[in-house]
Amino acid sequence: MKTADVLIIGGGIHGSSTAYHLAREGISVILLEKDYVARHASGVNAGGVRVLGRDLAEVPLSKISMQMWQTLDSELDADTGFRSTSMVYIAANEADITTLKQREARMNAAGHTHERIIDQRELRELLPYVHPSCTGGAVSQQDGHANPYRSTNAFRLAAERFGASIVEGTELRNLRRVGSSWIAQTPKGTFEAGTVVNCAGAWADKVALMIGDNVPLNHAAPMLMITARMPHFVEPVVGAVSRQLSFKQFENGTVLIGGGAKGFAERAANKTRLDYEKLANAARTTIDFFPIMTRAAINRMWAGLEAYMPDNLPVVSPSANAENAFHAFGFSAHGFQLGPIIGKVTADMILTGQPGFDLSAFRVDRYDRKVL
Amino acid sequence: MAFDCVIVGAGPAGMSAAVTLAEHGVRSLVLDRGAKAGGQIYRYAASSPLPDPSKLGPDYMSGAALINAFEACGADHVAGADVWHVGDDGRILYSIDGETRQIETREVLVCPGAIERPMPIPGWTLPGVMTAGAAQVMLKTDAIVAENAVFAGSGPLLYLVVAQYLRLGVKVAGLVDTTPRRNFLQAASAAPAALRSASLLHKGISLLSEIRRAGIPVYRQSVQLKLLGQTRVSGLSFYSNGLQQIEADTVFLHHGVIPNPNMTRALGLDHVWNEDQLAWHVKTDLYGQSSIPYIAVAGDGGAIVGGDGAHIEGRLAALNILMRLERISPETRDRLSRSPVGELRRLSQFRRFIDRLYRPSDALRLPQDEDTPVCRCEDQSVADLRAGFQLGARDPNALKSRTRCGMGPCQGRQCGPIVSDLLANWRGEHVSDVGYYRMRSPQRLLSLEELSRFKTVSSLQPRAREASR
Repeated sequence: MKTADVLIIGGGIHGSSTAYHLAREGISVILLEKDYVARHASGVNAGGVRVLGRDLAEVPLSKISMQMWQTLDSELDADTGFRSTSMVYIAANEADITTLKQREARMNAAGHTHERIIDQRELRELLPYVHPSCTGGAVSQQDGHANPYRSTNAFRLAAERFGASIVEGTELRNLRRVGSSWIAQTPKGTFEAGTVVNCAGAWADKVALMIGDNVPLNHAAPMLMITARMPHFVEPVVGAVSRQLSFKQFENGTVLIGGGAKGFAERAANKTRLDYEKLANAARTTIDFFPIMTRAAINRMWAGLEAYMPDNLPVVSPSANAENAFHAFGFSAHGFQLGPIIGKVTADMILTGQPGFDLSAFRVDRYDRKVL
Repeated sequence: MAFDCVIVGAGPAGMSAAVTLAEHGVRSLVLDRGAKAGGQIYRYAASSPLPDPSKLGPDYMSGAALINAFEACGADHVAGADVWHVGDDGRILYSIDGETRQIETREVLVCPGAIERPMPIPGWTLPGVMTAGAAQVMLKTDAIVAENAVFAGSGPLLYLVVAQYLRLGVKVAGLVDTTPRRNFLQAASAAPAALRSASLLHKGISLLSEIRRAGIPVYRQSVQLKLLGQTRVSGLSFYSNGLQQIEADTVFLHHGVIPNPNMTRALGLDHVWNEDQLAWHVKTDLYGQSSIPYIAVAGDGGAIVGGDGAHIEGRLAALNILMRLERISPETRDRLSRSPVGELRRLSQFRRFIDRLYRPSDALRLPQDEDTPVCRCEDQSVADLRAGFQLGARDPNALKSRTRCGMGPCQGRQCGPIVSDLLANWRGEHVSDVGYYRMRSPQRLLSLEELSRFKTVSSLQPRAREASR
C-alpha cells in the first residue's frame, strides 16, 4: 500500500497543477492517471489561453491565471510554448457590435477592463486578411496560446521535482472512505491518503460518485483540425462574436482551426469519432471570414474527450457530502487557460480552507434540488 | 440509396475483388486515387509510356490482363478519387473535382497496399536519396530513369528495379546488397516448402543472375552504410570486404515493404505484430474480414502477400462479401474458396522463405547514430526523441505530442515504425506492448476548400461513370 497526504485522480492540467502547488508546499502527493499525463483534453486541446469572452463568474480566476501564464516557463523551468499574441473576437455586423457593447457594460460594471472594443479600421490593422465586410470586434491584449501537452507536463515534471509521485497507466477502480482515510483500489495496487482530489475530466462524474457527490456531467468530443505550414498571415488568436469560428497560427506556420463543433465521444472506449459534415461547416466559416484560407491544406483532424456541465461552468469545490474531498473538473472546453490558478486554488482549499476567490458559481451541488 | 460494396484501391486486390463481385452480379464502386487502375505494382501496365514495357518483366505484363478484366467487369471505377477517410460506420469521404463527397455503403473493402520500410541510415533524408519504389513509379508513370545510380539494400523489389534498369540499358553504378549471411541459413529451413513454388523461386534466381551477368559491381553482405554529401547525396560508403565507396548523384534504398498502416489504423481496426515480417498486420480472418465485420482488408495493406497473393485475397474477400450480402450461400463461398485458399497457402510458404532471406538487419531498421533524422517532416533526430522520452513521453503518441515527430504532412507514415521500435528498445519492452501512433483522417493533405465543398452522394454522377471509361 502506498500512502500520501493527498491523492489526486486525473493527470490532466488541473490534476498536474494541483500536484505541483501541493508538492511545493511540502505536501506528499500521489497522482493516479489511467492513461498517460495529458492523454485527453489537456493534451489535445486547441491551446487557447484567453480571458476574452469568459463568463463573468470565471473572470477573476482567469485574470490571475493569465498573469501566472506570463511567467510560467520560468516558474516551472519548462517550455510551455506560451505566446502572448492577443486575441480578437470579430464582429461580422452591427448586431455583433451591439452584443459586444452590452457585454462591455456588464464587464465594466464588475470592474473588468481587459476587453476593448475596436472599430473596423483597427480590426483590419490587427487582422489584415479578415474579410473586408467585418465591422469591428473586441480585443484582449494578454491572451495567446500555448502547447497543451507540454504545458500539462511542465506542471507534472515540476511536481515530480518537488517529490510528487505520478502514477500513469493506473485506473481508479474503487474509492471509499474508511475512518479518516481515502482508500483507492487500482490494478496496480492500493493507494491511501487523507485527502482526495477529483480532477478526472470527462470521467469525473464517476469519481464524484465514489466520493458521494452526484453531478450532471456530460462529455463530448470538440473537434479540431490543423493545417500544414503556410506563410504567416495572422498574429492574434481569432474568434467571432456570433459564428463558430476559432483559429490561431503558430510560429511554425501551422493553423489550428477549432470553433466548438462536436463529434461523437465514446467514453468507455477512450475514443472519439468525428463529424465531418460539421468540420466542413467550420471550413466554410473559416474561409468566409478569411478568404486567404482557401489555400490552406488540412493535415490532421481530431477530437478530445472533454467534460461539460449544463451551465458550461466548471466544478471547483469541496465535496458536498464527504470530508477531505475536493473537485476540479467540468471545464466545458475552456479549462486549459485556468490550469495555473485552479491548481493554486485547489491547493489553497485543501491547505487553508481559503481559496481566495468567490467559488459559489462552481459548487458541486449547484444542481441539487432547491427548496424555497 | 447506399452502395452494396465500395472498394478503396484499384491494385491487384481491389481489381480482383471487383471482378469476383461482378461475376455474381454485384456492381461495386471502386475508388482509386490513380489516373488508371493497377495500383503500384501494375501501374500503367495496360497503357505504358515505355516503348517496350515488356522489358519490365512478365509479372508487370500480366497486370495488363487483370486491368483489362477489371475494366470490362462493369464495376464503377472512379479514377482520381482520393479517399481521405474511411469510417468505422462505413462512411467514406473522398475528394474529386475540388470537392468532398460522402458515400455510405453496406460493405467496405480496403486495399491500401504497401509502403517501403524506412531505412534510416545516416544521410537517408538527403536530397537525391530515394526509394526503389520511387524509381519504379518514375519508370512506370513517366519513363524517367536515373543514370549511374546506386541501389542499396535487399529484397525482390530492389533486384527487380535493378534488372529493369539494366534491360532498358540504363547504367547502374552498383548494387550494394545488405542481405546478411545468416539469413541464408535461416531461410534454408523454409526452402523445401518454398520449392513447391519452383517457378517463383526460379524467377528470383534468374533475376539475380541477370544482374550478375550484366557485370555491374555487386557488393554482398554490406554493412555500415552511410550516405555521403552535405546538402545533397554524393555517394555511399559501406563495408563489404573492406571499406568501399561509390560516387553517385542518386541512391535508391530499399529493404522490403510493410503494410501501409494509416487508413487501417485510422479506421480503428485491430492490428497484431508479426515477428516474421517485422511489421504490424491487420487482424483478419481467412477472408480478410477485420475486427469490424463489414470492413475487409485485402492485399499488402493487411499483411505482405505480394501481387499474386493480393490477387487471390481480393477474390476471397469478395466471396465473403457476396455471402454477407446474401448473394451466395456460405456453402458456395466455402466451395469457391477452396482452390484460392490452397493457392494462397502455397504462396505463403514461399513468402516465409522470402521473409527469412530478406529479413532486414536491426542495424538498418533502427537508426544507429544519435543525430540521424527519424522524422523528416519535423526534423527530429534520435537524440531529440531520446530527450522527449527522458521527459516522460513513453508512449508513441505522447512522444509525438512532446516532439512533433510524426505530426508533419506524412502523418507518421515514415517515422511510425522507427518510433515504436526505438521506444521498445528504450523501454526494454516488446514493440507489441509499445503500440503505434493513433492515426486520424485525412489520409493525405486535404485542402480546406475541398472540405468546405461537402456533398453526400447516393448514386454515381454521370461524370464519375465517364471517368472509368
